[in-house]
Amino acid sequence: MRRISRRAVLAVPVGLLAASRVAHAQTVKPRLTLISQWSTGSDGAAITALGKKFEERGGTWQHSPVPGFTTDMMNKLRAQIMAGDPPACSQLKGPDIAAWSKIAPTVNLDAVITAAGYEKVIAPDLAKIHAPFGHWLAMPLQVYRTNTMFYSKRAMDRAKATKIPTNWAEFNELAENMKAAGIASPFANGGLRFDDGMKFETSLAGINPAVYRAAVMELDAKALQSKEVHDAFVQVRKLANWQDPNVATQHYSVFLPRFIKGDMGILLSGGWAQGVMLNAGYKLDDFILAPGPTENGKPVFILNADAFIFWQRKEADLQAGQMLMADLVMQPAIQTMYSQITGSIPVRTDADLSGPGWSDGQREAAKTLKEAVAVNQVVMSLGHNMAQPNAMTAAMLDAIGEYAHDRTMTPDQGVARLIEAVDSART
Amino acid sequence: MIGSPTRNDRAPGGMLAWRVLRRLPELVVIWVPLLLCAGQVVVFTIWTTVVSFTPSTLMPVTGWVGMRNYTAMLASRNWHIAFDNLLIFGFGFVVLAIAVGLLLAVLLDQRIRGENVMRTIFLYPMAVSFVVTGTVWSWLLNPGIGVQKLVQGLGWSGFRFDWLVRPDMAIYTIIIAAVWQASGFAMALFTAGLRSVEPDLIKAAQIDGAGPWRTYLRVVLPTLWPIVIAVLVILLQFAIKAFDLVRALTDGGPGLSTQLPTLVVYDFMFQRGLLGRGSAAAVLMLLTLLAVLAPYGLWKHWQTRRAARA
Repeated sequence: MRRISRRAVLAVPVGLLAASRVAHAQTVKPRLTLISQWSTGSDGAAITALGKKFEERGGTWQHSPVPGFTTDMMNKLRAQIMAGDPPACSQLKGPDIAAWSKIAPTVNLDAVITAAGYEKVIAPDLAKIHAPFGHWLAMPLQVYRTNTMFYSKRAMDRAKATKIPTNWAEFNELAENMKAAGIASPFANGGLRFDDGMKFETSLAGINPAVYRAAVMELDAKALQSKEVHDAFVQVRKLANWQDPNVATQHYSVFLPRFIKGDMGILLSGGWAQGVMLNAGYKLDDFILAPGPTENGKPVFILNADAFIFWQRKEADLQAGQMLMADLVMQPAIQTMYSQITGSIPVRTDADLSGPGWSDGQREAAKTLKEAVAVNQVVMSLGHNMAQPNAMTAAMLDAIGEYAHDRTMTPDQGVARLIEAVDSART
Repeated sequence: MIGSPTRNDRAPGGMLAWRVLRRLPELVVIWVPLLLCAGQVVVFTIWTTVVSFTPSTLMPVTGWVGMRNYTAMLASRNWHIAFDNLLIFGFGFVVLAIAVGLLLAVLLDQRIRGENVMRTIFLYPMAVSFVVTGTVWSWLLNPGIGVQKLVQGLGWSGFRFDWLVRPDMAIYTIIIAAVWQASGFAMALFTAGLRSVEPDLIKAAQIDGAGPWRTYLRVVLPTLWPIVIAVLVILLQFAIKAFDLVRALTDGGPGLSTQLPTLVVYDFMFQRGLLGRGSAAAVLMLLTLLAVLAPYGLWKHWQTRRAARA
């Protein structure tokens, strides 16, 4: 019997190991673990569609949505980061991108973005948020305008109104006309904290976006004590009085049936409300989309943007999944598909919104964004955690929410509370 | 050989080892869960206290900021409102739940037919989760769709019951929902207590000519005193723990008017990403609890010493 040399015996398993390594590297299937808040409705439908596109490209899609508001999703994200098992990708937005990138390592997206030339087609305000320290940490997905007014067709007919208001005086007149026409509660908003924040930010940015920038985004003390902030509180009181008196802490979607039917007339929301209403079975003809009122005649755009951030993982399949996801999100076709479902406008400034599937409201919002950038009247949303990090936003929304729900508070008291909240959250 | 005599002649160490080994199953079953549970509570309480002295925001970090988190929490409006609400809610809930529970127990004690059915019905609310209670009561108490609309629909058009949407009255709606949930439980404990009253005492009172009311007030209720104290302590910890009920019913209320310390802790720790401040609020809650329980503990200690001396 021939003696089998030791070398031969060792060569076989080593050879198999090498072969399997090579085979493994060639067949690593991209996989993505994702956390977001988009579990239901039009948002859920959009992220599911994105998942299908990911799987069509050969990846495994593992999305764990956390129902609720953004902070609920961030709780889960923090728990996973602390456990040492961050998802490969998660939703994140606003100043929290900068804050959270400090607590766990994120994937630097510079190479991917410059290779695709993406930074040339993103608005500069978005670049400031998503590349806070000079390099790209997050990939913006969609842009919403939060100072969008929806007018119910039937309510407008009831009030015999034909003109869409362009400033606050016309808006207030329209609301009063609706009340006179028998619509008891013309304003269809809800009572949640982000809703109160949206009422305030739309009022203030409509009155003077420069003061908004100074007071809300930079927390300048003099700006917070200005007349414009006081007038914004007066307008918030008007809006709150036009709401259903029993609104308490209900979500605005509770009032959508009455809004469409014409028992309520005006809804202040972001573009996502279009997606919600279409998903609920209503038609585009049931409502009119228009920009929120502005006092100086030039367009104001309050920005709310969602983004994906990629957390560093060692696994090869997750890394491949991250690259695939980044590549997908930058593509115009994917952004078109996503924004058409949710009602947002795509991040790419070169996106073409003339095709079918886009609403006039979305086209108008995209046009307004370009115009607002040109006159430097793009500001960040307070109610949607874009203007300030979570702690400061929450403190300000405490004060604004208290004022909005307590009719005995005067605007002066509201302003004083807001200043107090900002000062105590600053320390 | 039964009880081999040589075993007892072993060295003391050997005897101890055998003793431990023989009782090992009991020791494991008792000590391991006890150490795990007690250890978990103690270790995490200490951990929270340590975090409350650090500048932790999104994640726990090391560092020392002294009492800054405590002074910030004690100065914050959220904490003031929450603490006041805790006093109002705690007092109102406990007193009302005991009163309603006692009344139901006394009424059930009247040897009525279907007593078991009635007792089960009164106990049902306890089986419902706090979130469900909060959600359903938020519908019932909403003026536009609940009780106010019903009564106005029946004809009393001037009837108002809009406490839920008024910042000054919203805290009382929480008391209503919580009492509905917990009074059955109080009733069950009081029923057991009423059953344990000696019948001779009642017969003696009847012979002396006391009517039913006087019998209850002067004879039965004083003997229930220890049970009242027990129910009070249990209900008090319900009140201090109340979180999901308030979240489901008012989510902190119109504005901030129904904030409670539990909500403030959760809000600051997780929603605002201010772990240091949230932990300071949690430790303040613990101190509040101790301030209530310590006198109770001392009182019990004094009582047992008095009984031992008597």
